Amino acid sequence: MAGKKKLRIQDLAKIREKTKSLMTIRESEGRARVTVHMGTCGIAAGARDIMDTLLGEISKAKVQDIIVTTSGCAGLCNAEPMATVELKNQPPVKYGYLTPEKMQKIFVQHILGGQMVTDLVLAVGSETMY
Amino acid sequence: MITFRMNGLEVKTEEGSTLLDTAKFYGLEIPTLCYNEGLTPFGGCRLCVVEIGEGLRSKLVSSCTYPAEEGLVVRTDSKRVWASRRMMIELMLAMAPGSKVLQDMASQFGVTQVRFTPRNEECVLCGLCTRICAEQMDARAIGFQQRGHKRKISTPFDMRSEECRTCGACMYICPACQLRCQGPNAETALCNGCLTMDPSCLDHYDDLQCWMFDAGRCGTCVRDKT
Amino acid sequence: MKHYRAHLLVCAGTGCVSCGSFKVKEALEKEVKKRNLQDEVQVVATGCNGFCERGPIVMVQPDGIFYQLLKVEDVPHLVEEHLLKGRPVKKLMYVPPAEKQPVPKMKDIEFFKHQRLIVLRNRGRIDPEKVEEYIAFDGYEAMAKALTEMTPTAIIDEILFSGLRGRGGAGFPTGKKWAVCAKEKGTPKYLICNGDEGDPGAFMDRSVLEADPHSVLEGMVIGAKAIGAAKGFVYIRHEYPLALKRVEIAIGQARDNGLLGENILGTGFNFDLEIVQGAGAFVSGEESALIASIEGRIAMPRQRPPYPAQKGLWGKPTVINNVETWATVPNIIRRGADWFQGLGTETSKGTKIFSLVGKINNTGLVEVPMGISLREIVYGIGGGIPDKRDFKAIQIGGPSGGCLPAKMLDLPVDYESLTAAGAMMGSGGMIVMDDKTCMVDIAKYFLNFLQDESCGKCVSCREGTQRMYEIVKGITEGKGKESDIALLEELALITKDASMCALGQTAGNPVLTTLRYFRHEYEAHILDKRCPAGVCKSLIRYVVLAEKCTGCQSCKKACPNDCIKGTLKDVHLIDQTKCIKCGACKEACKFEAIEEQREEAIQII
Repeated sequence: MAGKKKLRIQDLAKIREKTKSLMTIRESEGRARVTVHMGTCGIAAGARDIMDTLLGEISKAKVQDIIVTTSGCAGLCNAEPMATVELKNQPPVKYGYLTPEKMQKIFVQHILGGQMVTDLVLAVGSETMY
Repeated sequence: MITFRMNGLEVKTEEGSTLLDTAKFYGLEIPTLCYNEGLTPFGGCRLCVVEIGEGLRSKLVSSCTYPAEEGLVVRTDSKRVWASRRMMIELMLAMAPGSKVLQDMASQFGVTQVRFTPRNEECVLCGLCTRICAEQMDARAIGFQQRGHKRKISTPFDMRSEECRTCGACMYICPACQLRCQGPNAETALCNGCLTMDPSCLDHYDDLQCWMFDAGRCGTCVRDKT
Repeated sequence: MKHYRAHLLVCAGTGCVSCGSFKVKEALEKEVKKRNLQDEVQVVATGCNGFCERGPIVMVQPDGIFYQLLKVEDVPHLVEEHLLKGRPVKKLMYVPPAEKQPVPKMKDIEFFKHQRLIVLRNRGRIDPEKVEEYIAFDGYEAMAKALTEMTPTAIIDEILFSGLRGRGGAGFPTGKKWAVCAKEKGTPKYLICNGDEGDPGAFMDRSVLEADPHSVLEGMVIGAKAIGAAKGFVYIRHEYPLALKRVEIAIGQARDNGLLGENILGTGFNFDLEIVQGAGAFVSGEESALIASIEGRIAMPRQRPPYPAQKGLWGKPTVINNVETWATVPNIIRRGADWFQGLGTETSKGTKIFSLVGKINNTGLVEVPMGISLREIVYGIGGGIPDKRDFKAIQIGGPSGGCLPAKMLDLPVDYESLTAAGAMMGSGGMIVMDDKTCMVDIAKYFLNFLQDESCGKCVSCREGTQRMYEIVKGITEGKGKESDIALLEELALITKDASMCALGQTAGNPVLTTLRYFRHEYEAHILDKRCPAGVCKSLIRYVVLAEKCTGCQSCKKACPNDCIKGTLKDVHLIDQTKCIKCGACKEACKFEAIEEQREEAIQII
């Protein structure tokens, strides 16, 4: 991982491959990657509570293999708080209009149980880049 | 030397001159208020605007701050320039109708109406006082505060200034300080006592027709006001 | 129109792209051309299919066959077997599982499917506080290329040929600005990132700085190489604490990793950045005022020429660009000017981020190709107006922009068409309004903003905005005179003409566009003393509905001005000549018998 060492160009490619593999949980041991969107819109809508709920549930369930991360604004600001759940080998699922209760349900049913909570799903997949 | 055209004439000036410097050199009169030869140009009153460029790309710029450019085409008295100048005078009169300088200018440029509620302030925020205090008197006791409609000139925190030497330079140079004459329309926002000119040529042409000579003061084109 | 016998749909969702779907697409295009099939087979990039775990995905139509986990090496075999010999390649195929639950795929959702992310490509998928995640998605690759493989002239040419125009509002060709600065002999040269974003309702720059700060840093290093600068400033308004924090962290991490500062990536190139905070003024977003602000002077614009590219910060050649512009640069260097030219219109290339706010169902940040129509943005991406109300106007470009009515919804969004219509691209704020919005009130709102934010130097701007505000305010209060419209137009045009900087030069726009497209509303306010949208309180009448009034006297007691007459159990009456429109009576009434009446409901007695 990039630390205090000054990078050279060849290091960039190495970091790219290594980090990407971690982020897309294809080869790593993680079972799921959950991103809580914390741009100003998310924070204003209560994303911190969602994050706290998620972390609380993880420690309650005593699971070690869930990657929790944050990102900036996901674009659809009026649907905040939002979270993206990516199970291993499955497309990312975006949940919106979250509350701590909904996050709890998603953790149990989707993250632990492997089944999407259909009526809370905003979208499946990712956006088009150009 | 920079060569460009002013009112159709080819003019030459030194690098670093402004359009106003050039006009003055050639004897072309451009009205000013916030400009003073001994101070850095400010470009705030917008009276000295001239039209540069041609066709769709022409625009108005303040001649006191715009540097002379090779090949520029400048018109100092176009219809557009006059419309702006008159509005600036009207707006400033609405701020400070008590100013002799502004009332005289209104008469000189044919401003015959003030369509805004007069505020009866004594300052038009031209900045001459702040500049003379800083540049000539080296005191920097006063300056601009705030912005927009709250803008004003005062000492820091409106407190009595230790830098101010009560030299009176600010009062000397202020164009609004000179009180207007108490003529026939003393109580109104507009005096027009010295109104002499309201050129009719701008109704038909895009430029003032007598721009080289005394801009209308001969009285030939004055409309009959009766 | 060419008739293709087959389409190769290559998924270009972020998931597949991160696995190399663009490289697969390029390989397919090359192979198709090599086999001389380019007139029969079209290769198209599409939105995400939703099967991101199996990317890169290519679907062959009309066969309907999904190929998955494709690598560049698979391409020649695939083209030869499937397209030439007609034999689908089984080992590359994907059989989608039977869909148990109908969940919406991103590619089907209007909000997402019309967007093309360039600047926002990392949104929602990286942690902006981890530089390695930025690197994971090709971050700093463009910078490495620029520092090691390109000359300054080559970099400038690439940006010039791409057609990139400044995204801060003026739309000046970025490559041209850089070329002018590079030619200047003065040293040292500076770069500035304008993150002052003052337009009400605009938050594009904030979002980029918060979600992907490294993209801006990378762009600036590339720019520094192009013009020969060693120092840059990121000017962020004080009101963006999260953006300030994220950029500070990003700069720290970049420095620690040798991506910023001395000897970047070991190439010997030096460039460092400093953050400067803005402090509450809109005018400090204007380039010469911003420069004055960094110099520690009052934020007041100055006459140009000379332009900042010639004489900027401390009199030295300075390139100042907007956040979005800087964030676009690495993408152009990484993928090439030709790629960027592939999106957008003839004069406006690439994409633009818009903040879609107001009376719209899907509020948020959208990045769309230039040339998309307003209708697509409002009804497609935006999902239309809430509560099924009618669209009335869309305000584009902030206080410097203008309001466009429904009849202009098919206008393509690009610099020239918006200016021709009387609006302005501006920084990209789009405020949607419904039929309950009063356009005169909107003009009043923006004029109030402008009279507050004018620096105050020019009489035309300072007095012009104040007097326009006074007149429009009077109109909303029922004090308008017939001569007001002509005076407003004259004042607006002269304010635009005679002012020195872009704030004053566009200050007339709120008045001019609302007069151009909604003149009838002004006339209603002035001549009929009514507000058609029911917003301007002074032009509303409070009326007691006889059929609902029980005569309880609650309203009479609540009225502060003693305007209600009526005895117990009798229908009460409001004296319109004394009513001050405070609304206390309506609040006091428990029987909903007092109504705010707009024009349609007022009966002529």
